[in-house]
Amino acid sequence: MNMRRAISSAIYTFAGVIGVLAFVYPFLLDMPATGSLGVAHGQDAMLVTTTLVGLSLVALLVELQGQAISAKTVALLGVMVAIASVLRFVEVAVPMPGGFSPIFAPIILAGYVFGGRFGFLMGTFTMLTSALITGGVGPWLPYQMFTAGWVGMTAGWLGQISRFQSPISNVIHAGGWRLEIALLSMFGFAWGLLYGAIINVYFWPFAVGTAEQSWAPGIGVGEMLARYTTFYVATSLWWDLVRAAGNVALILLLGAPTVRALTRYQRRFHFEVRSAHA
Amino acid sequence: MLDARVWLVWALTMLVMASFTRNPLYLVLLLLVAVVVGSVCAPKQGRGTVTSPLRFAALALPLAAVFNALTAHLGDTVLFRLPDRLPLLGGPVTLEALVFGAMNGLTLTTIFSAFAAFNQVTPVRDLVRLTPRAFHEAGVVLSIALTFVPQTTRSIARIREAQATRGHRVRGLRDWLPIVMPLLVSGLERSMGLAEAMVARGYGAVSDRPQPLRTQGLLALGLFLLLGGWLTLLFLPSWKGAAVGAMVVGAVLVVGVVWWVGRNVSHTTYRVHRWTARDTLAVLGCGLALAVATVPLPLLDRGTLYYAPYPRLAMPAFDPFIGLGLLGLLVPAMVITGDPE
Repeated sequence: MNMRRAISSAIYTFAGVIGVLAFVYPFLLDMPATGSLGVAHGQDAMLVTTTLVGLSLVALLVELQGQAISAKTVALLGVMVAIASVLRFVEVAVPMPGGFSPIFAPIILAGYVFGGRFGFLMGTFTMLTSALITGGVGPWLPYQMFTAGWVGMTAGWLGQISRFQSPISNVIHAGGWRLEIALLSMFGFAWGLLYGAIINVYFWPFAVGTAEQSWAPGIGVGEMLARYTTFYVATSLWWDLVRAAGNVALILLLGAPTVRALTRYQRRFHFEVRSAHA
Repeated sequence: MLDARVWLVWALTMLVMASFTRNPLYLVLLLLVAVVVGSVCAPKQGRGTVTSPLRFAALALPLAAVFNALTAHLGDTVLFRLPDRLPLLGGPVTLEALVFGAMNGLTLTTIFSAFAAFNQVTPVRDLVRLTPRAFHEAGVVLSIALTFVPQTTRSIARIREAQATRGHRVRGLRDWLPIVMPLLVSGLERSMGLAEAMVARGYGAVSDRPQPLRTQGLLALGLFLLLGGWLTLLFLPSWKGAAVGAMVVGAVLVVGVVWWVGRNVSHTTYRVHRWTARDTLAVLGCGLALAVATVPLPLLDRGTLYYAPYPRLAMPAFDPFIGLGLLGLLVPAMVITGDPE
């Protein structure tokens, strides 16, 4: 069992590192510029990165579903994904201001209550299903799936921190549900900005080319971060701020009743009858 | 109707070609191909896309051009100068940087248009059918989600009607609470019923076995090789051969595990799509386009695929043979036009 757990941890770690590296590799490069002012490399890198992200997502899904998913989890996941996907459909049909998207709040709240694994799957499948119904399939989809999966997974970690006995959880319990919702709102705000910043990185080296503010092989990490920050502030910050504010508004408004409802159903979903010899 | 796998190959070829070339003439050609294929092959009642390619182009092209022009102070043809005291923006604004930015926007528009066409021409059920057998549980989740999407939409309409009869009106975000909560609770209740029905029909009776240790081990090894190869490629470029080799072996291992796991999953299809000569022709067309870009054929000037407007703007070169090869991506539109269905 220990061996199985160790290999499983290795799969999560390798897939996670590949995912993180796919987003941060432009900041780590330190090699001489290639032809066409480094542009050719940027294009190869995008194809290689998209393939690697796709393969690690595939490996992660094989591992996740290999851990015996119960019928209740499958049904719950399917229905929750459907609800979140319909919200994405609403977002597409009725254009909302900036990057406001109602799909992150359900992913965060579900991950918070049902745990990191459920949150990861919910984020991943919500992006996949909503892309299928809204015609959003493209090379950007593996990145969106990975990032939304991280949103759900980290929400699960937040839930674990607040539930396990620790000085932090004691503070959260002392603060009551208001503090819990405030914490979730801050988490939603942070992910509203982070989601945009992360998704931008995947096309940044490819989209903007060789400029003082863009990706160019051979420049240092600090310089690269400064350029990316300028690019992000100039092109995406206001857009992502609307998303972050939208997450906060939705969690403040719907968070408490949703967490209560999900917690009630979590108890019902975990109820199992096992035979004596099982 | 072409096979969904053909459309996948077509979209991926478009992605590779649009990423491969920096020549705006070839990019415009690819964009036209995507537009023609999308408009000829898309069913009249097909799915829409998140944003229309035209709207995307109207946003991406000027934004990328202006942003690059204001921030990249490269090139000889100075249009005007911004005061040096402006951080990062200060310096000469050049025609070359403007063109380079527009080229970046054009590349993104081409990729976007290709996938917009792909989304329009491929029915959702065919895309779901492409799910590898190894992702049985994932496929079930996806099927449930897709099945419940119309039901959820109807539920929203019903709940809104019910609330409206009580005098409730949606004026702001706060007014969504009486709609979202019944939707969530009814969805959870439905999932409970669905889970019980699945268990009653034997779901999970055989799939509760964990993954064999060997499968997990191979998966971990595949990811390790992919990661190791990639890190070597990024930080030790002189070891490129070994790095690429490790990545290829890693990719083969991951794909092999997916195939191996899928072998044990029985799969039934009610309507089998037969591979036809049209499908073969369309794939050959994609192969032709890939060949002109990647195979060093004697008649082709592959150097024309790369173009940079720096230091002074010049007309990009165009090889008509490469242009003809790229037109291989039009084959799906040609074979569909001749299809009596």
